[in-house]
Amino acid sequence: MTTEELNNLTLAKTVDARGTACPGPLLEAKKAIGTINSGEIMEVLSADEGTKRDVPKWADKKGHEYLGVIEESGFFRIFLKKN
Amino acid sequence: MDTKKLCLALFSGSVDKLTAAGVILSGAAADDMDVDIYVLMQGARAFRKDIGDNTSKLNMAENAHLKEEFLASLKRLNVKTWVEFFKEAKEITNVRIHICGLAGKIWGGEKLDDFIDLADDIVGIGEYITAATDADMHLFI
Repeated sequence: MTTEELNNLTLAKTVDARGTACPGPLLEAKKAIGTINSGEIMEVLSADEGTKRDVPKWADKKGHEYLGVIEESGFFRIFLKKN
Repeated sequence: MDTKKLCLALFSGSVDKLTAAGVILSGAAADDMDVDIYVLMQGARAFRKDIGDNTSKLNMAENAHLKEEFLASLKRLNVKTWVEFFKEAKEITNVRIHICGLAGKIWGGEKLDDFIDLADDIVGIGEYITAATDADMHLFI
């Protein structure tokens, strides 16, 4: 997805994990995805460089869809669709 | 999807290794793994009720002079303590913590109540061998 498409997504949830280092963002994503419905989209905010790779790989393993990432100043917005 | 099993032999009572075990446990929890932890030797000392998160009573097995820098960095980075990591993993996935009977006695722990309440039971080594044999992933820390 393009940055514009990601920015226009309707989000069911935003998880702000910028205050934690690895493995905090991954566990926050894990806990949050359990609270949204199948087909809904959430974003994970993380300032941890490793999260950019870790969360997409985890999502793929768990059968969710990784939609893309937007790099903001000092943090990442990672978009996931729950399957 | 099959539930994968992790068997962790937690031998060390070193604060950095306990923290590493906690980080790995978090990954296992994110993956919904089934986890059995066997707490051996100095690991059992760390699980004693009067120790746990009390870092003044925990050593750093290698490069002991770096302990204070390590702990200060954890605090700066808002990283959970090793006990908090273990507790959170137990809340998310199926984690059972078994204290080795011999290790417990070495450090003055005879019964389950002598250890922090994360511990589930006190067992013999046979259970560890069985769990390690059955596991998809086995770690010794």
